[in-house]
This record gives sequence, structure tokens and C-alpha cells, in this order.
Amino acid sequence: MIPAKTKERISSRQFHCLLFFVGFSIQLFADDSDFPEAVKHLNQMSLAMSQMTYQGTFVYVQGSLVETMRITHVVDENGIHERLVAQTGRQRELRRDAEGVRWIARDQQAVVSDPSVNRGFFPVVTSDAIENAADFYTISLGGLEPLAGRLGRKLSIIPLDKYRYGYSLWLEEPSGFLLKWELFQDSARPLARLMFTDIRIGNEVDRSELLSNDSMDGFQTQASDLPQKPTITQSKPRWIPEKPPPGFRLTSHRREDSQSAVMFQHLVYSDGIATVSVYVEPFSETDGSGTGASSLGTTNAHSRLLDDYLITVMGDVPAATVREMAMSVTKQSP
Amino acid sequence: MNKDSKEHISQLMDGEIGGDTGRFVLRQLEASGELRDTWARYHLIRDCMRYQDRGLAGGELSDRVRSSIDQPATPAEIGSTGTRVGARWLRPVAGLAIAASVALMAVVAVTPNLENDSGFGTEQISAASAQPFASPNILSGGPETRPVNLNGGAKPASPKMNSYLLRHYQVAGSSAGNGFISFVPIVTSKSAMQNDEAAESIQSQSEIESDPDRP
Repeated sequence: MIPAKTKERISSRQFHCLLFFVGFSIQLFADDSDFPEAVKHLNQMSLAMSQMTYQGTFVYVQGSLVETMRITHVVDENGIHERLVAQTGRQRELRRDAEGVRWIARDQQAVVSDPSVNRGFFPVVTSDAIENAADFYTISLGGLEPLAGRLGRKLSIIPLDKYRYGYSLWLEEPSGFLLKWELFQDSARPLARLMFTDIRIGNEVDRSELLSNDSMDGFQTQASDLPQKPTITQSKPRWIPEKPPPGFRLTSHRREDSQSAVMFQHLVYSDGIATVSVYVEPFSETDGSGTGASSLGTTNAHSRLLDDYLITVMGDVPAATVREMAMSVTKQSP
Repeated sequence: MNKDSKEHISQLMDGEIGGDTGRFVLRQLEASGELRDTWARYHLIRDCMRYQDRGLAGGELSDRVRSSIDQPATPAEIGSTGTRVGARWLRPVAGLAIAASVALMAVVAVTPNLENDSGFGTEQISAASAQPFASPNILSGGPETRPVNLNGGAKPASPKMNSYLLRHYQVAGSSAGNGFISFVPIVTSKSAMQNDEAAESIQSQSEIESDPDRP
């Protein structure tokens, strides 16, 4: 379902641009019979996961961790409403809507919120990105397999170097809905896997699941201390990774450095598939920030101090990739 | 584990069960290591059957990947590291009670040995040469988020990292088209891990890297 009026949603123009890019990429890679069709599926997945209304239960496996989660994703005239809830383990959930993102830990009666980031839901798919990904991944289509009572076609995205992860996706035809997802590094075993066990789409979705019957009275809330309205700018960043890994290009630059606010810079690099964030802020001893390598699931981060600034690079890429990017950040001459 | 359990595992792999039954089997899977082993074996068997005619890693594609991986990587020119873990500490982190509580939600396992790597990726590259990338469908025994606790302390992860994570996942979910999948790691049980070394690794000013441009 593609809503019509909200700013966050697809405009007719954007949609036609997307179709143009898909068509353009198909022309561009006409010598590879599999690639254009694979890209078409990839774009369909992007549209489906952001613009369809769906609900389902999936199992997530990462190392020895096996958890069941429930996702409810509704798109209506007010934009996107999403609730992701852990069905097992600790009582964790995440909500996204026009008010931003809330990360809720019921077991600790705590909420982390970031009200500013309700933007950019529409997937950024450009001909450049598609072309770029083709240089660093092999993207190919496989056969159909039954999954969660539906048929899914396998899409393999295999990295051609050590700077990025590989993916196997099973996409329902013709909707492009992601039925199963696997993430690989350079070993024979997936780092993480996600598989739906039941799915509802469109009118079958029970929207009441967007709400919780459990009260959040007395919960402590920590609002994000990052600037809420950083300016998206085309200007040259003050701090940049001098040597980002091959294929990673600057796709977004947000900053806030007015006289009344502290300097904040958020750079987003992408190779067309993977995304890496580079944050630069003045270092403060009181916020508990540290340096070195860190990880959350398959997300890796690396922080370092340069002068009095804290530089943090994070992304769903191998640890060495974020480390290399962090270590190559330098301050640019004005 | 009885015969029915094995049958349910098989049906789950084939996507033939869902709803309440599917959730029941998933709960069984989460609770039983034996069932998880069975799940992994079934995947291995299925993959062997599926690829027996063309090899598990097989064919032209794997050759292409292998040749790509075999190419020597160009080590990045990485500057000296600015921090060392394990040094004396500690400046008390003036965490507010609310921030400390909320920060426990975050992860972040520090792997300080990476700081001492002399170059980028050399070891990994050579390992990859011996084992080309492949993607059989076996249950992962892959790396996990690792809690680290050098001093036996229990300092919470940085609220700053929580904020970075939320914002990054939002960007990643939009730009890569993965949607909600980007957020899955912070909804797992393991998102409750603590990170105390990160704060500890902040060194005195003399140990902090200097900007070459700075006087």
C-alpha cells in the first residue's frame, strides 16, 4: 500500500524516479543476465519493507542467542507506525512513528527516545548506489523455496572483499516481502539469521498490536542528547575518513555547529548495501563515552579521541572496517 | 526429544507450520540445545542434498569470490592508536541515576586487543584465502556480543552509544531498505550487556592522540 499525502511517504515523482533508476540499472548491466533481475528484487524488497502494512512473528538467531520477536508495521495517512517486541527473553521493544523512535526496556522500566529521526523512511535507491554495489558484491538470484506458508526466492549478495558482510535474502514473489534473512562474514556459518514463521499483510493486520496493554507509568526516560535538528548540508565535512574502504561513499552529511550549540557531525557512508555512520562530537568526560572497539550483535563500532573530539564509527560491517575508518578520520583545513 | 519434535522441526524448516504451533516449536527450540542441534543437522543434510550435484561452495561463482579474496589487501595507513586499555583509571563517571539505568540497555563489548593490531586485516585475509566465502544453511555458531569486565566492575554502557545506535539504525534501515531489521539487535536479550572498559580506556591527555594540525 502506498499512501498519498504525508511528507514522509513516496510522492508520485519519487516513485517514478525509482522506477527509472531500476530500469536504468537494468540497461546498465544488460550483459549480466542475472543482475538486473536481482536488483529489481532488491528494490521491491526496499519498497515492501518500508511501504507495506504487515505483521508477523520471526525467530532471530545470532550465535547461541535464539529469540522470537513480533513486528507490526502499519503505513497510513499519518505515516509509519511500527512496533517490534521481543516475545522471549527480556522485555524489550522498539516503537517508531511520527514522534520518533523509543527503545523500551520494561525489565528496567526505562526508555531511550530520539524524537528527531522520523524522516527518510523512503529507501535511498539511486542508480549510483546500484552501480556501486555491483563493483563490490556479486548479486544473484536463486530458486523458490516454501517459507512461512509462502514462496520465497533466494537473493544472494556476496561480498568481493573483506570490508563488508554478505547476505542471503528470501523474498516473497511478487510483493518482495523479506521472509528470511541471513548475514555472513567470511566464514562458512552465518553470523545472524532471521526467519518469519507467520505473516499477515494489509487488512489482515491487527493494528491493536501497535499498542501495549502494559502501563509505562513510572518509567524513566532518557532523551537522546544528540542534536534533534541537525542540518543536512552539501558542504564539505570538517572531519572525514581520509581513506574509507573501497566502495564506501559519503551519502549524507548532517551537522550542527551554530554558536549556541556544540559542534556535531554525522556522516553516512554507504557502498550501496551496507551503511556506516561516522559521528564527531566534542568529548565530554561526563557522558561515559570511551574509546576502542565495541559491538552489538552484528553491529560493530570503533571510537577514538582526536584532540578533544570523540570520533565514533559504527555499522553492520566487519569490525576491521569501522576501525579503519575511525583511524583514518582527520580534521580538514577550513 | 521425541519423534513429533523432530517432525515439527522439519516442518518448521520447510515453512509448513505457523501460528500457535509454530510459536510452540520455536519455544521448544529456544529451550532445548538438543533440538537446536537437530535443527543444524537438518539444515546441513538439506544443503548437502541440494548441492550434491554442484558442490557446496560451488562453481564459477565461488571461483570468482575466491580469486577476489586471494588478492592481497592494501593495508591502510593507520595512525598510532590513541588509547590503551587496562591502564590505570578511574575518573568517576558522573552518571545520573536515570542515565545509568537506561544505559544498561545498551551493549557494547570492547575488544581492546584490536587496538594493538599492527595492520588492517592481514590475518583475516590469509584465513579467508584458505576458506572461501560460502553460505550453507547451518545454524550459526558465529561470534556473539561479548561482555567484558576487566575490573569486575559493572559500569553501564555509555548513554551516548545508545543515542548513536538509535540514530544509526534509523539511517541504515532507510538507506539500505532493510526497514525494521536494523533495529533487531537492540531488542534482543543481549542488548543488556554492560560496557565498563570503554569508559576506562579514556586516558590522560598525554595519551590522547593529537591532531597534527593543532599547535
